[in-house]
Amino acid sequence: MSNSKQSVVTENSNSAKQSILQVTSLHKRFDISGDFLDSLQFKGGKLCRKRKHVHAINGVSLEVYKGEALCVVGESGCGKSTVARTIMGLLKPSEGEICFKGQRIDNLSNSQMLPYRRKMQMIFQNPYASLNPRKTITETLEEPVKFHNPSFSSIQVKEKVAQVMLSVGVDPNWGIRFPHEFSGGQRQRISIARALTVEPEFIVADEPISALDVSIQAQVLNLMMDTQQERNLTYLFITHDLAVVEHFATRVAVMYLGTICELAVTKTLFSTPKHPYTQALMSAIPRLDGKNSSHIKLTGEVPTPINLPSGCVFHGRCPHANERCNREIPVLLHQSDGSQAACHAIEENRI
Amino acid sequence: MSFLQVNNLEVTFNLRNNPLKALQSISFDLERGERLGIVGESGAGKSVVAFAILNLISRPGKITAGEVLLDGQDLSKLSSKEMRKIRGNKVAMIFQDPMMTLNPVFTIGDQMIECLKAHRKISKANAKKIAVQKLKQVQIPSPETRIDQYPHELSGGMKQRIIIAIALLMDPALIIADEPTTALDVTIQAEIMELLLELCESNHVALILITHDLGVVSHVTQKTIVMYAGRIIEQGPTNEIINDAQHPYTQGLINALPQQTLPGEKLNQIRGTMPSLQDIPTGCAFNPRCDFILDVCTQLRPAFTQSGGCSVACHMVQAMKDAEKGQDAYE
Repeated sequence: MSNSKQSVVTENSNSAKQSILQVTSLHKRFDISGDFLDSLQFKGGKLCRKRKHVHAINGVSLEVYKGEALCVVGESGCGKSTVARTIMGLLKPSEGEICFKGQRIDNLSNSQMLPYRRKMQMIFQNPYASLNPRKTITETLEEPVKFHNPSFSSIQVKEKVAQVMLSVGVDPNWGIRFPHEFSGGQRQRISIARALTVEPEFIVADEPISALDVSIQAQVLNLMMDTQQERNLTYLFITHDLAVVEHFATRVAVMYLGTICELAVTKTLFSTPKHPYTQALMSAIPRLDGKNSSHIKLTGEVPTPINLPSGCVFHGRCPHANERCNREIPVLLHQSDGSQAACHAIEENRI
Repeated sequence: MSFLQVNNLEVTFNLRNNPLKALQSISFDLERGERLGIVGESGAGKSVVAFAILNLISRPGKITAGEVLLDGQDLSKLSSKEMRKIRGNKVAMIFQDPMMTLNPVFTIGDQMIECLKAHRKISKANAKKIAVQKLKQVQIPSPETRIDQYPHELSGGMKQRIIIAIALLMDPALIIADEPTTALDVTIQAEIMELLLELCESNHVALILITHDLGVVSHVTQKTIVMYAGRIIEQGPTNEIINDAQHPYTQGLINALPQQTLPGEKLNQIRGTMPSLQDIPTGCAFNPRCDFILDVCTQLRPAFTQSGGCSVACHMVQAMKDAEKGQDAYE
């Protein structure tokens, strides 16, 4: 297993890392000013219209290489899920470009998007909510197959579904049952099966194991790693569980308040976290040996994304912040060990 | 005599046609100032234990056997009026979801003062003073202004701090925390756990911590109980359980953590899922998922064996202990 993993990595580096998805300076704002009358305000004797936005993503650029698992981590509200949904085309970006295999996909119409929907699939966080309670498992799984392969006969569809169900460890005879008859782990397997039925190349998984127990988490993670090898899948994996990230990810992107603050290969990130926020995040992982004395305490709370702080979004909580951090937004810079970090203090060699 | 003593507790839910035993023969004790962790998968009955201690099991559930002795007083026999004097006063509870626990239509201050006035004869001004002081204790910045705010104006971590402050209002001797950090982020989670630990230590409060995160248990608690299908299967000092688990289920839980395997390797999963309480397998409830199954496991329920500081309900451990004993006798 470790050998084959190794070979995947070397293969990647040999073929100069074939990029499968490219996101360039992505922005997403949600308008929360309400309807027309709500947004009207008197200012200096004049009636003017003022709009309020939640700045969910502020200039995220990343690249996903074929065959890897890129994990996006961060606290809730940092825009991880918004990135996932925007990439999948469930939300329209306010600014920026998303390219899948060199083809721009963020400005496509629904019908133009169809061929890409087959290649990109999504697994959601809560298996209790993402399966239709009024459809049997077979119905749920057959629908995408029929939709994307109109030429398939009903026997072919059934065969395809049975094959996928077997591959995720769900007995095809259970297909006549409804979602409520399954446990959380089984439901998440079915969600994974649903994503796999159309043979995608790229899967976005939005916290797929957060709602599950430790032992079941292990089962689902193993399944995802197996299918990655069998089908040469690429994952964009969103989570806040750093222990899982360390285990699963090829590369990790750490997000804070809608921006990426550090992007590195997993091993590098965990051995030498550079950004002050990453360092704090790493020190907060509860370890079994109970040696958590080095926990870096962050002061304050995450600022609201409605009124973004000026300069570096993290400067209010950062122990190394200075006047420049307050003023200037840092950009992701390449570091000597191949990682990228957006921090003035690192750039100036202060930390 | 221990501060809290739970003896042979049994909780039954009377469903339409068959009674369902959610807890069976739960026994443990807790000293003042001691911290106990209860771990297990969902459906193991962890939360039912917490609710049973506070006599909060609602119909169709019922405590059908056993006793919960707090300072020698059996809580399971008390009337609801007498019980009200205990809850929030001697024993406080912290629930999982801070968004659900606070009443959205009252200010933080109202909710804290209400709690104080329910238990003590106290003026509103004095109650407010105590409330502010408790908010300071849980490190809420500018408590004087926060106290007049509504729950929706606060972040998740802040709300959980306020719930801890409410739990501490009456200086309880025991706090039961049911997954207090599951709904929170990693960094906030670490802060809240540290705060809870500090407060318990400085106020000499006993803590029962219910969680499925073994990492949290390992650095907060002194004793640990592992539950499976409504029964205790292993209990003992936390460091022994984490470092040298005896029961195959506990070993499985610890080995399933991603930190226990090298990155990229397959995780050690426990196969199968916890049985439904309606058809618990005969013999050891864990036998269909166990890798070390003996013939006796499918027939007889294992009794507790003492192994080091832990007591373990497993035939395999018992057989090993017996073999050791036999060897000693032979020598």
